[in-house]
Amino acid sequence: MFKVALASLRANKVRLLLTSFAIVIGVSFVAGSFVFTDTINSRFERLFQDISAGVDVYVQPVPPEFGNDFGQVQVSMDESVFDDVLAVDGVAEAEAGIGGIAQLVDKDGEVIGGFGPPTLGFSWSHNPDLTPLRIAPENGRPPEVAGEIVLDVGTADKNEFTIGDTVSLLTTGPVEQFTLVGLANFGDEDNLAGATLAIFEFEEAQRLFGLEGKISQISIAAEAGVTAEELAERITQVIPDDVEAITAAQSTADQTAELQEGLSFLTIGLLVFAVIAVFVGSFVIYNTFRIIVAQRTRELALLRAIGATGRQVTRMVVVEAFIVAVISSIIGIVGGVVLSQLLAGALSAAGLGFPDGPLTLLPRTIIVGLVVGIVVTLVASVTPARKAARIPPVAAMQAELGATKRKELRTRTLIGLGVTGFGVLAIAVGLFGNFGGNLQLLGLGAVVAFVGISILAPIAARPFASFLGWPIRKVYRVAGDLAVENTRRQPRRTASTASALMIGVTLVVFVAIFAASIKVSIGNAVGEIFPADISASSTNFVSGVSPEYTDQLRSLPEIGQVTTLNNIVIRIQELDLDTDVSAIEPDTAPGMVFAGASEGAIAELGRTNGLLVLVDLEGADEQVGQSYTIELPNGVVDSATVVGTFDDGNFGDYIMTRDRYITGIAPVTDGFVLANAAEGVSIEEARLAADALTEDFPNVQVQTKSELVADAEGQIDGILAIFTGLLALAIIIAVLGITNTLALSIIERTREIGLLRAVGMSRRQLRRMVRWESVIIAVFGAMMGMLTGIALGWAVILALKDEGLGDFALPAVQLIILIVVAAIAGILAAIYPAWKASRMNILEAIAYE
Amino acid sequence: MLSAISVSEGSKVYGEGDAAVRALDGVSAQFEKGKFTAIMGPSGSGKSTLLHCLAGLDSLDGGSVRLGDVDLGSLSDKELTLVRREKIGFIFQAFNLIPTLNARENILLPLSIAGAAPDEAWYHTVVGTIGLEDRLTHRPSELSGGQQQRVAAARALVSKPEIVFADEPSGNLDSKSGAELLDFMRRAVDEFGQTIVMVTHDPFAASYADRVIFLDDGKCVGELADPTADQIFDKMKELGD
Repeated sequence: MFKVALASLRANKVRLLLTSFAIVIGVSFVAGSFVFTDTINSRFERLFQDISAGVDVYVQPVPPEFGNDFGQVQVSMDESVFDDVLAVDGVAEAEAGIGGIAQLVDKDGEVIGGFGPPTLGFSWSHNPDLTPLRIAPENGRPPEVAGEIVLDVGTADKNEFTIGDTVSLLTTGPVEQFTLVGLANFGDEDNLAGATLAIFEFEEAQRLFGLEGKISQISIAAEAGVTAEELAERITQVIPDDVEAITAAQSTADQTAELQEGLSFLTIGLLVFAVIAVFVGSFVIYNTFRIIVAQRTRELALLRAIGATGRQVTRMVVVEAFIVAVISSIIGIVGGVVLSQLLAGALSAAGLGFPDGPLTLLPRTIIVGLVVGIVVTLVASVTPARKAARIPPVAAMQAELGATKRKELRTRTLIGLGVTGFGVLAIAVGLFGNFGGNLQLLGLGAVVAFVGISILAPIAARPFASFLGWPIRKVYRVAGDLAVENTRRQPRRTASTASALMIGVTLVVFVAIFAASIKVSIGNAVGEIFPADISASSTNFVSGVSPEYTDQLRSLPEIGQVTTLNNIVIRIQELDLDTDVSAIEPDTAPGMVFAGASEGAIAELGRTNGLLVLVDLEGADEQVGQSYTIELPNGVVDSATVVGTFDDGNFGDYIMTRDRYITGIAPVTDGFVLANAAEGVSIEEARLAADALTEDFPNVQVQTKSELVADAEGQIDGILAIFTGLLALAIIIAVLGITNTLALSIIERTREIGLLRAVGMSRRQLRRMVRWESVIIAVFGAMMGMLTGIALGWAVILALKDEGLGDFALPAVQLIILIVVAAIAGILAAIYPAWKASRMNILEAIAYE
Repeated sequence: MLSAISVSEGSKVYGEGDAAVRALDGVSAQFEKGKFTAIMGPSGSGKSTLLHCLAGLDSLDGGSVRLGDVDLGSLSDKELTLVRREKIGFIFQAFNLIPTLNARENILLPLSIAGAAPDEAWYHTVVGTIGLEDRLTHRPSELSGGQQQRVAAARALVSKPEIVFADEPSGNLDSKSGAELLDFMRRAVDEFGQTIVMVTHDPFAASYADRVIFLDDGKCVGELADPTADQIFDKMKELGD
């Protein structure tokens, strides 16, 4: 049977190619996700190891337990810890270091970096045993006094800085000027994973990062015979509770784990798309094998007639599927490696650099890729294979293949409705229920619902084809008639081909609706909650707006009222709750920041330095008057009383004062600065004035309210484009599925096509027939996808109503475009089968058995 | 004699080298207008190949086919398609009908393809003659084999082609259905003056023709006018020996 399966595969190379494509794409995405994240992890792990070469133990402040997802909270410890550590028995060498975020400004006055690799500033280490940094003799010298800076060779080269240059640097205040005195190598490398390194003399670093009398980290080498673990244990005895001693190995592991967690969104995102691709691919595979079995009815019956058992026939089909699966999975794994490279390249181009190093292809990746490819293919081919076993031997003798028996409509409707209902139920529970795993339930529900809808789809296929076919018949007459009838003759084939497309379209529509709704909400929200004329915020993720900028802004004659807005996570100990909080300035907030709080409440907030609670929060009313112990991410603990309520969910669950906020952060910067134009000054004039100040603060951007809205909408459009791009893959697989189905159908209808040609149909008419058949299938799939997508979008937005995302918006233009695109995709999908049909030799066709 | 279609010195070779088969080897024949001609011959005699070449479905390697004053060999695929559409009708042994179209649509298919309006009176005449007025909205799968072949015959006639080619039209039918079909073809010639060329190996079927041409090894080896089944049978036996 293995031989028969092989021979059958060899004889149908195109079919094999099209079937395997679906699997290859799916497996590529799965493998690519793993290769990508494994590679990044292993490269960074190596990097972290290199950094800590020579160091046995680090002493550092205990990192924040919460509110530090992006490493934005800086913690430090007292200088005195260093002396305590030095006195510990077994410490051979130790050096204290200062670290912080320092952004270089390039020669065009633009801030360098801030979106990807870190922009690090730290103190020069004079002990070569404890640092991998080296300055080669020809590259100058270490920083010795205030005002001197050393950069890494890579960053200096890239930005054309040479020794003796004046380098502008931004920390928290205005830009400061430094003289470049040296260029450092990182081991053998010029650069550390795309990071920018700015190195200062120790006390200068303390001043620069606002850490006078404090240190960030102590690097320690152990004496011979003392293990890192022992030494860490000993040091722990003498240091305060908020400081920890960890081994260098532990530090590397922690950093790697942290990175892994930071990248997990990417891994999960890629895997979600991989699952989608595999799911869509499984429809294509299922369909292909179903058609193949139908076409080979007579051949399979012959095998039965000469003595093969039903099981042997099933096995033959399964073996064929298995071979396809193994080959495609292997190609898919190779594709995954390529994909991961492309992804890394794309991210590098977008400014997110990763360290150099070898690719990491773990056995796990290969195993998962093979298992996914094989299991999906086998599952998808099981039903067709079992169907093959039911072909009676007598079918070999029948001249004409009888019309395929359709499953009883009632049974199909009932099963389809049942499965769909189950899926919808799971979605509903996922959306509106309140327990763990809601998202997983939502995904599972969607998958089940898709299967259910695809079971129901054949019922709709005939009426839909008639409906959509009406104009095609009118315009293209006989070719149109035949095209429409061809889609109607095997509704199951039409429906399952269209279903693959439905999935991709559903998701595209859903994402489009979601994005459109968010845009409306954001447009409304920004307009409502920031009534101020202009705003100032950072151009990047790592730095905020310097308070000095805000002070200068306040003093401008063109500017009227100025206020700030910040976000932070706090822990409320009594409620055992980590929660998002907005920080405002009660004196200046009224009229500038609208959170749905009364002026009285805001005044009370300022007077008591208390808290306001979101009125929608459960038990909000009871909380008013309560006093809580609140902890900030850097460990500062204080008590605060809830003195009132507000009702805008965009501000998090609580509002506190900026005065309290700045106790929790160092250095002090602001997220948002809001300002009104002064009396009689136009918004544009105010904005120009605010803009002029940014010369000293190159990371600050000034926007008018409408620019702010456009900016926010632009970001959503960007995300939408990425999602749509990734989902386009699912659509491409589905379109190839249409090509596959049509190509197989053409083979099946060889005689019919020969007859049509014999009685005078031109090649052009034949191509037209195939083309419109394809368009009908594609538009059918797109329409189903659209309806499902709208339903899903509506449900999700309904469920998220309380999250400040209330307005369901239908992006009508995009939806119409999508249908047009589907029709065009249908035309493209038909190119190959139509060509094949039109090239068919008439004689062979009419002699076809 | 007014000839509707003729072949002169037609030759056709399949394959190359040792495997080459000379299907037609200098065959010449003329087919009269308004007559029913049968082509007979043993298996491998080249009769189907000849029919295919006459009908513009295949091309000769040597010699020429003239349909009226047109040399089929000089036509492009597009022009051949038009010739088939406008001047030729077909009845095949099996699989004559498009399964997705009903009987009426199948009959009118050549006209639909050409985008021409059917001559309703003629359509009714043809349909009346095949006796399937009450089955016109049925799909092929709902018709018997004999009915399907009669629908195919009606389709071949409805566009008033200059010539109808039939390839073993009764080959798959029981004797009664076969006789009905041949009767209909005979009437088409007698009543409407249709020209028909039919390939068959069945002497009984050939006996419906005005004239029988015998083919062997790709050459014309004799003919009979107004033959009876017995005469044909004898001639075939002679060829078989």
